[in-house]
Amino acid sequence: MTSIRIVEVEKSFGVTRALKGVTLGVEPGELFTLLGPSGCGKTTLLRTVAGFHRQDSGDIFLGDELVNDMPAYRRETGMVFQNYAVFPHMTVFENVAYGLRTRKIRGAEMSARVEAALKRVRLEGYGARTPDQLSGGQQQRVGLARAMAIEPRVLLLDEPLSNLDAKLRVEMRGEIRDIQKHLGITALYVTHDQEEALAISDRIAVVESGIVQQVGAPWAIYKEPSNLFVATFVGTMNLLEGEVAGPAEGGRVRVRAGNIELRVVSPPAEFAGRRLVLGFRPEDARFEPPEGAENRLDASVRTRTFLGSIATLELDVAGTTLIVEYHRPESLDELRAGGLARIALAPASILLFDAETGRRIVTPAGAAP
Amino acid sequence: MSGKRHLDIWSLVTLGGFVIVVAFLLYPLFDIFRYSFIDKTTGALSLGNYLTFFSRKYYYNTFLHSILVAVATTFLSTVLGLPLAFFTSRYRIFGAPLLNTLAVLSLLSPPFIGAYSWVTMLGRNGFLRRALVSMGVILPPIYGFGGIVLADALQFYPFVSLMAAGALMTTDRSLEEASRNLGARSLRTFFSVTFPLILPSLTGGALIVFMMSLSDFGTPMIIGGNYLVLPTLAYNLYTSEVAESPGMASTVSILLMVCAFVVIILQQWISSRRKYASMLMNRPRPQRLHGIGAILAHTLCFFVVALSTLPLAVAVYYSFRNTNGPIFTSGFGFDSYKAIFFDVPRTLTNSFIFSFVAVALIASVGTLLGFVIARRKRLSVHILDPLLMIPYMVPGTVLGIGFIVAFNRKPIYLAGTGVIIILTYFIRRLPYSVRSAASILKQIDPALEEAGINLGSPPARTFRTIALPLMKAGIVSGAIMSWVTSMNESSASILLYVGKTMTMPIKVYLSAMDGYFGTASAMSTILLLVTGISLYLVNRWMGGSNEAIVGS
Repeated sequence: MTSIRIVEVEKSFGVTRALKGVTLGVEPGELFTLLGPSGCGKTTLLRTVAGFHRQDSGDIFLGDELVNDMPAYRRETGMVFQNYAVFPHMTVFENVAYGLRTRKIRGAEMSARVEAALKRVRLEGYGARTPDQLSGGQQQRVGLARAMAIEPRVLLLDEPLSNLDAKLRVEMRGEIRDIQKHLGITALYVTHDQEEALAISDRIAVVESGIVQQVGAPWAIYKEPSNLFVATFVGTMNLLEGEVAGPAEGGRVRVRAGNIELRVVSPPAEFAGRRLVLGFRPEDARFEPPEGAENRLDASVRTRTFLGSIATLELDVAGTTLIVEYHRPESLDELRAGGLARIALAPASILLFDAETGRRIVTPAGAAP
Repeated sequence: MSGKRHLDIWSLVTLGGFVIVVAFLLYPLFDIFRYSFIDKTTGALSLGNYLTFFSRKYYYNTFLHSILVAVATTFLSTVLGLPLAFFTSRYRIFGAPLLNTLAVLSLLSPPFIGAYSWVTMLGRNGFLRRALVSMGVILPPIYGFGGIVLADALQFYPFVSLMAAGALMTTDRSLEEASRNLGARSLRTFFSVTFPLILPSLTGGALIVFMMSLSDFGTPMIIGGNYLVLPTLAYNLYTSEVAESPGMASTVSILLMVCAFVVIILQQWISSRRKYASMLMNRPRPQRLHGIGAILAHTLCFFVVALSTLPLAVAVYYSFRNTNGPIFTSGFGFDSYKAIFFDVPRTLTNSFIFSFVAVALIASVGTLLGFVIARRKRLSVHILDPLLMIPYMVPGTVLGIGFIVAFNRKPIYLAGTGVIIILTYFIRRLPYSVRSAASILKQIDPALEEAGINLGSPPARTFRTIALPLMKAGIVSGAIMSWVTSMNESSASILLYVGKTMTMPIKVYLSAMDGYFGTASAMSTILLLVTGISLYLVNRWMGGSNEAIVGS
């Protein structure tokens, strides 16, 4: 089991700064995900670890070994590619054997390792097939088996599922995680799909504009986003900008955002007088709240979208649009477009951000319940 | 793969590319450039040659002739090629594959074959002329402007028809359906939708024709008579000037290159705007024609192709006629072939050996440089790329003059060797080979090579085990096309050959000039056979696509 350490890595392509001083550590055996929109630098970082790019400055360690000047073909990283990159002129067997042959592993040992790798990805018996006889999912399994057969120090996965259809994607991500955990291999996983990242990762680094915005476990990324970018990129977040409208009482303070007034957990004193952004997730809205509940809002339903197990509603509250989730779609009839909805927002579920810097303001009760 | 700073095999390949370009291209071309500014009598630098060129009618007329011939050939090629392209791609024409094959064959037919076949048909004593005279039809003489345009257009029109057909077959059918749906009739749809869509390809093809006829040397030499064009003028000047100081020939060469350069720039500009060949989801389906329309379309298509095939057929026919020296006697036999095999077997072996060695060089060097161009994005490669394209705009005559001037002295003395002929084949064909290798690679996902590297293969091994096998089909068909063009190369080698390095096309030329049409025909027939077999192989290899052929 090998760790990956990335220290102050900078990389520019011409005038474009792709990585602006990235520092990250991936623990041995961990499945670590780089999550971000396209062009954020996550793939550049992965390819720099693989040795396909040479960083302008900074260090990369695999385990204790500094690999800055090591060419890609000696780094012993097993990479799984977005477009599978299965060699079309070789059979499945030859594809998986390719890395073993370059390591002068021949004969019975080679066959045994190829068969074992194919078995692990549930492709035993497919060795003689050519890639054009395989589905996309099977091709990606070949790519995975090929990368694992060489028993690499770390596994690098570059959006491995993005070319598969939705259902297969969910199935494969489970398999990838099972195999990774079973082998105990360190894995660096790149994706732009936040749901995939949340589902598969031990930890996630959210990357934007060549900068790591936040590193943390999936629930922390979702529940305690460190800034507005992470808050809006991972999941849906309703945002309201406003300012404090009165003195604090009982650990609460009133914030006025447009025509809406909400009671939130008081921010620390140093944020007094600063403009705030309030954020809450669609699932945090409570329908048909009891009398006396905090932050009761009367809304009119603008649109509703039935999604099976839930429905999302677009609400209009005094001219402001809010997205909320409704979890009992069987009684959806009450909430038709043009109708009325009454919701409440618990103060503890409302996140506070500094409007100027975009950073989240940590409040005593602002953490996840 | 990019970004690694240490030297590897591809750095050496890039360096080799520069060496080739400098030694065998820039050095001879610079020599021509230098000589064009040297006064012949005083040896001083001067603009004298250029002033003489543009002040003497004899000289500047050839310039006008060249432009006129190229314009007329381009026009005639379009008139012949566009309807053929339209009918064979949009309607069911009986025998369309045969028409296609014959058109390609005449495009790649041996040099001069069109010229001297038309001379045998319509020359002073041509059999067709005599037949027409007996019917009371008197044609103007074939020698001169008309003959050059006729022979050139009938050889080069497939550039127009193949490229236009390619575009016609890949335009989105729904665009035309949309036009009709909006109420436009067929003819209006053609001119307002279809024609603008294929216009970039059409002009692309037409400009290639312009370029080919501008730099064509063999046809105007044989059928031009006193009607001189730039390449024949350069040749005449060169062979009459003392080799030490080819002043005027150099000036003519430079002017010829300038014309070619302008055409290339135009062509590049037009092909860069060629963005229409969009998604091929809705290819047009060929329609069935009925009645008079069917008869007219078939007549037109067969007439055009028959006319261009006629010179080839005439050459094959005459190759089997009995001869007595330059005179045809009655009956058929193998006299002309015997004459070749017994008198000039060296010519055959030269052609095959030179071409074979050249193709080996072209394919290997072209593939390596193509890889560098396609996969290595660094400054040196960005400089090398356009340099490698220079031979594309250097007419053969110009390259020949440059080679003989530059390699007739130290440090590289190659005059009179087979090596210099091989080098001309190599240099003339290199841009096509590099381009084709680079474009094949652009269709191969670079991730495949990265996967190889990632699995532990060093760059050279990755190239050998991943890229090369995937490029194989393209390389082989490109090599066969190089083989065809090398076998038929004449305009540069005719300036460079000596007795012992004579090749088949040169022998065709000499025989035709001496009036030995039998020998010329037999030699051409052999070349035609080699070309035909090669094309058949390309077709089998590429699954019937014309891409490899048009690309040449």
